[in-house]
Amino acid sequence: MSERTFTGTGVTPRSGVGTVVWYSSDDELPDPDDVAVEFDVECERFADACETARTELEAERAQTIEHVGEQEAEVFDAHLQFLSDPQIEDGVESAIEDELPAEHAVQRAFAGPIEQFEGMDGRMAERADDLRDVRDRLVRHLTGTERVDLGSLPEGTVVLAERLTPSDTAQLDPDRVAGFATVTGGRTSHAAIFARSLALPAVVGVGDELYEIAEDATIVVDSEEDELVVDPSDERWEATQTPNEVDVREKPVTTVDGIEIEIAANVGQHAELERAKSQGADGVGLYRTEFLFLNREAAPSEDEQYETYVEALDVFPNGRVVVRTLDIGGDKPVPYLDCPDEKNPFLGERGIRRSLGPDTDLFETQLRALLRAAADGSGQLSIMFPLVATPEELTTALETVSAVADTLEEEGVDYVVPELGVMIETPGAVFTAPELAAQVDFLSIGTNDLTQYIMATARENEHVADLRDPRRPAMLRAIDRTVGAAHKNDAWIGMCGEMAGNPQLTELLVGLGLDELSMSVVTVPDVKAAVQTIDATEAAEHASYALKAVTREQVIKRIQSGNCNQ
Amino acid sequence: MSSERTVTIVPESGLHARPAAKFVEAVNDHESDVQIGHADADELTAAGSMIAVTSLGAESGEDVRLIADGPDEQATLDALERVLTASGDQLTDTDI
Repeated sequence: MSERTFTGTGVTPRSGVGTVVWYSSDDELPDPDDVAVEFDVECERFADACETARTELEAERAQTIEHVGEQEAEVFDAHLQFLSDPQIEDGVESAIEDELPAEHAVQRAFAGPIEQFEGMDGRMAERADDLRDVRDRLVRHLTGTERVDLGSLPEGTVVLAERLTPSDTAQLDPDRVAGFATVTGGRTSHAAIFARSLALPAVVGVGDELYEIAEDATIVVDSEEDELVVDPSDERWEATQTPNEVDVREKPVTTVDGIEIEIAANVGQHAELERAKSQGADGVGLYRTEFLFLNREAAPSEDEQYETYVEALDVFPNGRVVVRTLDIGGDKPVPYLDCPDEKNPFLGERGIRRSLGPDTDLFETQLRALLRAAADGSGQLSIMFPLVATPEELTTALETVSAVADTLEEEGVDYVVPELGVMIETPGAVFTAPELAAQVDFLSIGTNDLTQYIMATARENEHVADLRDPRRPAMLRAIDRTVGAAHKNDAWIGMCGEMAGNPQLTELLVGLGLDELSMSVVTVPDVKAAVQTIDATEAAEHASYALKAVTREQVIKRIQSGNCNQ
Repeated sequence: MSSERTVTIVPESGLHARPAAKFVEAVNDHESDVQIGHADADELTAAGSMIAVTSLGAESGEDVRLIADGPDEQATLDALERVLTASGDQLTDTDI
């Protein structure tokens, strides 16, 4: 048996190994019998199928909210709307009038809209997938066919399918599934997004070649290398570490010479906390609170926030959860806030500027909830202020914290003033880092926005993507300056931008003196593994060499030559 | 009598799966009959149909025309404007 390789688009920096199970969601319908169709009976059957499908969709939606996240569950709202679309109802009814039984009527009613969307580009074409998903669900209920139960696959299964719909992926149990691969799909397909949320190895868009892989074959899903390897050699098999067995380090890690580096997760949805823990994160280095405020008609109450924060602290009883106060601006307006329509929202009223300005009430309520949670939750809470550009903004924010604490004291409510820190995202903050660090317990560098503001490159603009690289000498020097300012003022220093999650840059960041790195859940195990191969003293030497580089190419070269573990 | 309003779509993803679902849901929560179309075109389509609404392919920043006809026209248009100008896009790692 020699190994065979198939290529597609890898969507997570993960690899897994397992046994192939083919999954197909649509079954061919037999031709309609020549039995006379009774209009009322078939309409009733269709109505019943719709009702069952609706109940099922609502249950799957709830399941997804619980296991994955609010955002990932919204696709089910779309499916529910397609299910009750008047066009579909009319189409089914007229097909039944033409003497078709309900299941064939459903097929016919969906055919037109599916074809219409298939002919469109990109995201519109994905609506065809949604419609197929709804259609197949209805047909399944009408014909009483059972589906492969994706929720109870044997451990170590690699699922292969033409495509996986949102309702398919919602059922996948990440603890049992070693990965999946699909014939169709791209980086932004539902399946890919789910894979990233759940840190599953996945390769999508392999093409028709995928059908050549047999049921029960042994397969490596190497998402990082964009490939699948069937019947892997022993070496290849050994080289593929499954995150659930080998990779996850539940305890904090140290460098070879014993320096502990805290590896934490960035979390933007409450449901991601458990996943962060199971992937070995020591804590949360960036807990974004916007999810609490978006998609609703009014601001969350103090008690609702308090409970959410306590729950987060209870997930990491021995770790730290760094909560960022509300970071919202003109680009992400909230219906109940009066956000001005700004010409340049990224340079406008956002982050701490709103908290100290028009949103003072929200800010105080959030601080009350946080100070109360700090007293009652198991883990250690830290509060971080976003987009600070001047020392006086920080002074005002800290005064607000004191005022809130005084009020709680007067009311006789339990509270603790937790660790306080600043997110370093503006050049202003970099140049006044010593004055900022002197006032707080920690600084955390948000490299995505900091790169945007230092290199003057809009985050979404692909034409300047090349400039927007944190490996630019200007960025390295900004980081170095910030680290130095923090340490001189006895503050710890972290990083919570994408740069922190790149294992190839871990040695550089340890060498620059970062105490904590916080990243997407999916890269936690890889970065923890990288830390354990690094000698901090050597890393510091390599970093000082990289700091003297003048061009990005020199930086890259120096990082590579210094990385003895590559 | 019917009421008309032109609204600029805010959500980054445009009038696609998620915002569209919320939009259609809001239409069906009201009594008025609603039609929607691109602001620069005469054609209108049924706003209570998910298929019709998503097939418009209206993107963020685009203007759409809404026409409501019924007992609660203004309330309907207000609710729809709220949906179209809310931002429910998830904050991803690029928001750091």
